[in-house]
Amino acid sequence: MATTEDRFTETDDLTNQMSVENLATQEMVLNVGPQHPATHGVFRLLATIDGEILTDAEPVIGYMHRGYEKLVEARDYRQITNLVSRMDWLSGINNELPLALAIEQLMGLEVPPRAQYLRVILCEMNRILNHLMFFASFGAELGAITPTFYAFREREDIQRVMEDTTGGRMHFGFFRPGGLKEDVPRGFYASALAGVRQVIDRLPDYENLLVGNEIFKGRTIDVGVLDKQTAFNYGVSGPIARGSGIDMDVRKDEPYLVYDHFDWEVSTAPNGDCFDRFWVLVHEVVESAKIVEQAIEGIPSGPILGKVPRVVQIPEGEAYIRTENPLGELGFYLISDGDKKPYRMKIRTPSYNNVSCLPAVLRGTLVSDMIAILGSFFFVLGDIDR
Amino acid sequence: MGYEVNLPFLEFTFTAWQILIVKLLVILTVVPVGALAGGYALHKELGHLQHRLGPMYAGGFHGWAQTLADGIKFIYKEDIIPASADKRVFTWAPAAIFVPVLMLFLVIPIDRSLIVEDLDVGIFYLLAIGSVGVIGTLMAGWASANKYALIGAVRGAAQLIAYELPIVLTAAAVAMLAGTLSIVGIVEAQDWPFLLWPPGLGFALFLVFLIGAIAEMNLPPFDMPVAESEIITGAFTEYSGMRFIFAFFFAEMGHIVAFSGIATTLFLGGYRPIVPWGPLEHIPGIIWFMGKLFFMFFLIIWIRFTFPRLREDQLQKLAWKYLIPVSLVLVLATGAWVLYAPESIWP
Amino acid sequence: MAVDERTAYEEMRLKKARKMGFGLGLLKGMAVTLKHLFKHNSVIQYPDERQDLSPRTRGVIALKEENCTVCMLCARECPDWCIYIDSHKETLPPKREGGRQRKRNVLDRFAIDYALCMYCGICVEVCPYDALFWSREFEYAEYDIRNLTHEKERLSDWMATVLPPPPLEEGALLPGAPEPELRDPTPPATTRPATATASAVETRPEQEATAPTGGQATPAEAPAAMTTETKEQGTPSEPAVEKPATPEASGVSAAGDIAELSDTSPAQTEAAQVERPVSDNSGVPSADTPEADQPHVAGGLSEKEVAQFQESPGPNVEVPHEAPHPVALERTEDPEAVYQQVLQEQKDKGSSPQVAEARAKVARVKAERGIKRGPTPMHVDKPVPSAPTKGQPAEPEPGGAPEAKDIEPDPGPVAPTDGEA
Repeated sequence: MATTEDRFTETDDLTNQMSVENLATQEMVLNVGPQHPATHGVFRLLATIDGEILTDAEPVIGYMHRGYEKLVEARDYRQITNLVSRMDWLSGINNELPLALAIEQLMGLEVPPRAQYLRVILCEMNRILNHLMFFASFGAELGAITPTFYAFREREDIQRVMEDTTGGRMHFGFFRPGGLKEDVPRGFYASALAGVRQVIDRLPDYENLLVGNEIFKGRTIDVGVLDKQTAFNYGVSGPIARGSGIDMDVRKDEPYLVYDHFDWEVSTAPNGDCFDRFWVLVHEVVESAKIVEQAIEGIPSGPILGKVPRVVQIPEGEAYIRTENPLGELGFYLISDGDKKPYRMKIRTPSYNNVSCLPAVLRGTLVSDMIAILGSFFFVLGDIDR
Repeated sequence: MGYEVNLPFLEFTFTAWQILIVKLLVILTVVPVGALAGGYALHKELGHLQHRLGPMYAGGFHGWAQTLADGIKFIYKEDIIPASADKRVFTWAPAAIFVPVLMLFLVIPIDRSLIVEDLDVGIFYLLAIGSVGVIGTLMAGWASANKYALIGAVRGAAQLIAYELPIVLTAAAVAMLAGTLSIVGIVEAQDWPFLLWPPGLGFALFLVFLIGAIAEMNLPPFDMPVAESEIITGAFTEYSGMRFIFAFFFAEMGHIVAFSGIATTLFLGGYRPIVPWGPLEHIPGIIWFMGKLFFMFFLIIWIRFTFPRLREDQLQKLAWKYLIPVSLVLVLATGAWVLYAPESIWP
Repeated sequence: MAVDERTAYEEMRLKKARKMGFGLGLLKGMAVTLKHLFKHNSVIQYPDERQDLSPRTRGVIALKEENCTVCMLCARECPDWCIYIDSHKETLPPKREGGRQRKRNVLDRFAIDYALCMYCGICVEVCPYDALFWSREFEYAEYDIRNLTHEKERLSDWMATVLPPPPLEEGALLPGAPEPELRDPTPPATTRPATATASAVETRPEQEATAPTGGQATPAEAPAAMTTETKEQGTPSEPAVEKPATPEASGVSAAGDIAELSDTSPAQTEAAQVERPVSDNSGVPSADTPEADQPHVAGGLSEKEVAQFQESPGPNVEVPHEAPHPVALERTEDPEAVYQQVLQEQKDKGSSPQVAEARAKVARVKAERGIKRGPTPMHVDKPVPSAPTKGQPAEPEPGGAPEAKDIEPDPGPVAPTDGEA
């Protein structure tokens, strides 16, 4: 006959058996991508989920590998300019910059001040374009598709300036070793200023729609925290690193072009969650607009192409140039053996390093959070796979 | 039971089953047409909210035929059933989703006499039928043999449980205010719509009901079960063609229209004027009803495309920690109002 | 100190932003979307309304056939190898009695495969004789990929849509102009209100904007004026007959595309020297000479040289100009008539009604814009692409030949996938 105590233990056993821990459950592998709306392209994430909790995540990349580092070895420098512009297709002109700088350094070319100023203006406008795109897609990933359309409207104004200037909308092909392809058309200053101011004027709309929205805050604050040390360990750079409190910006640390002529701030945020990354992105738009305004104010007259020999033939040597791409640090390591083509060019792209820390961030989050984190890890597939 | 038609040129009597057939035919045509019109309104409103125009070409004038064209396109599309799907369940799930939506329209009074069946327990019927559709969602999600579909279906079921309670409690409060469960009775009890009277209390009830209704319809910000950018329309990932349009598009549109109608009936005074004032009484009830319905529709779409989506656990937290206690308090307050508010302050 | 204060302020703002509100943010968001409901939207109803694209837009490449000397530079420089050129040699009688017989390349085929083209513009940039231009037309989608290879007739048709290059922004240095004093490149005072610049930029009169370059600015504007003039007069062929450098050509060279000339390959340089003795004599430096380090504005073609070049073109360039291409827009055909005609043609050919109508619509649009309807065959059999490496060098002289051999076999055309994230 069972005593009271026995009965208690029995119930306990029963409770134990029926408790969640003892249920025989199985983890499920959820294959996110390569075709998935949240992955911006052919990015694949193998997520092992327990219910809705990710126990493991493994990014699989390479679906878009085009072998840029090998391709450039068979092309002359003008062709490479047009090729690297297609690496990160949201910031074409920023990709052309380090290439031009590397060639200039190796050949000892002088870039006229006007060209340097114009380069800064174009790069910063491209940065604004890129950042607007990521605000837009981040909102869309969290389910708010309306900001997407507003952002595209703003983008169009700046896009128009870029098109009037370079003739292209995404692949500009405008920088040349020693300067620019041609000077900007009349009305450029006014329309560039107007476009940039338009964006700044309309930023409050985004703040009301996203940053100030309680649901948005609930979805992003303390979600996907990337701490400072992890960010360092994985070589994370750009807005993502600055969102983790790392005050790092190549434009400030090793000023190239004329970035040290302007008064602007590196925006950082200390918490390293999705909200802070987004916050940094918004504030970088403001800083870029500041730079554009100051550069247009101070732009000198003069030629836009320095003393460039007819053939771009780089003497033997090597150079590593790093610049601040909208997504992080972009580096070109160029080795020349004296030919018209590079002997070897190593490309260090920001997105590649940035996504490499995804498993560390994603472990232990929910499936919905995974989407928010993917959206806040601003990456471009072409930049990862190149 | 019969219905006598006494017109100068027409004089005969319908039998009950004939009336039923006519009513069913009316519902079966009105609901898809309403869904199409609703779809068009959605496209246009969405477009203008997003600084666009929406459809402009199909049909000529401001793209009025866009949803029709979409529907025809869906009919032409191939009906794909995944190889490893449970074919019978997969096939019938859209019906299980769509039929309850149709049935919702049976008890919504468009005008004083324009109602298919004025049930004595109308509000009870509405709440019961409104939540049957989730069985279809579960069927679809399970039968699709797709992990995304499964996640979506489970999320849908969990969401339903969380949001049934606030809706039921607010509806109970409305029934208490009206003193009847009949839908027509509830409308007739609203000399002033419940939204405005009792002051504050009615508005709070309306808000809770609206949140619950949006969650039950799986619309943003509570659209986790379909979450386009996360689990790719959840349970309906594997559907295509006609089944997709019935399971997802028609059901969603029908749901929005039906819940707009229910909210209109319960809180906005249905076919009665918004304030009891002489001249307004002369406007036909159907116009009042349609105007209020359109307002509700607009409100729901407006909310839908402004906000980001919540997370599943946040939704549960919101429901269990805030909405259910709040609606319990509201039920208490309503009871207190009905019992103790002096007759003299009733309008 | 100031930086610290600013950082502290930023941190405070961030902290404030991270605080959870009570639903006010939701209402603000709804106000934003409601505001847009009543705003005038910014949609362009594309087929009915069209955006006025920029003159620099890289839409389609137009060929000015009579300027082409079959130097093959474009085909060799093309990263995608999508330009096909065939030619043969013609022997011309000597100019003077007892002189040497001259040889001339005659263009048989010039085709660009737009299915391969990556729109980089290198061919336009390297062309030393201004035979290739960008046009902003972009509506040449086809139902059959083979029709995307535009033969030289079609490429010449695009010439009518080429716009003169836009005038340059204030501060731009035109070739030949004296280098103006540089503005102080030090950072501007940050206290200066930014709006002042905007108003200054906006209110600057046109004349003043061109002032720094003085009278030299006119060449850039001249082509525009000339083109409009020709348009009005309706005698498009007249200016083109006389001058090898047509409005576009001179415009392009004057407006700073000299820079492009100056960094082309040695082969091209040498070709240019041979082809353009006038320019050569007046001191265009070759790559080997120390003068190569001169800035392009001083070392490239000066205004004078351009003028000289216009007056006395090389013998090889002169010949094709007997049959000039109409430059200005001419509306000879009634769009509706064209529409009907093409519709009928297509029906006779047995096209499906949709295809016929689409083609007829395209023809009507082109007629409206003054693009002459070229013989666009329905199905061009894919021609055997002439291997660019085997193409003849620009000149029989050994100058350009080694370059042709130097071209390495490429790993194949690059087709990077372009897509939005």
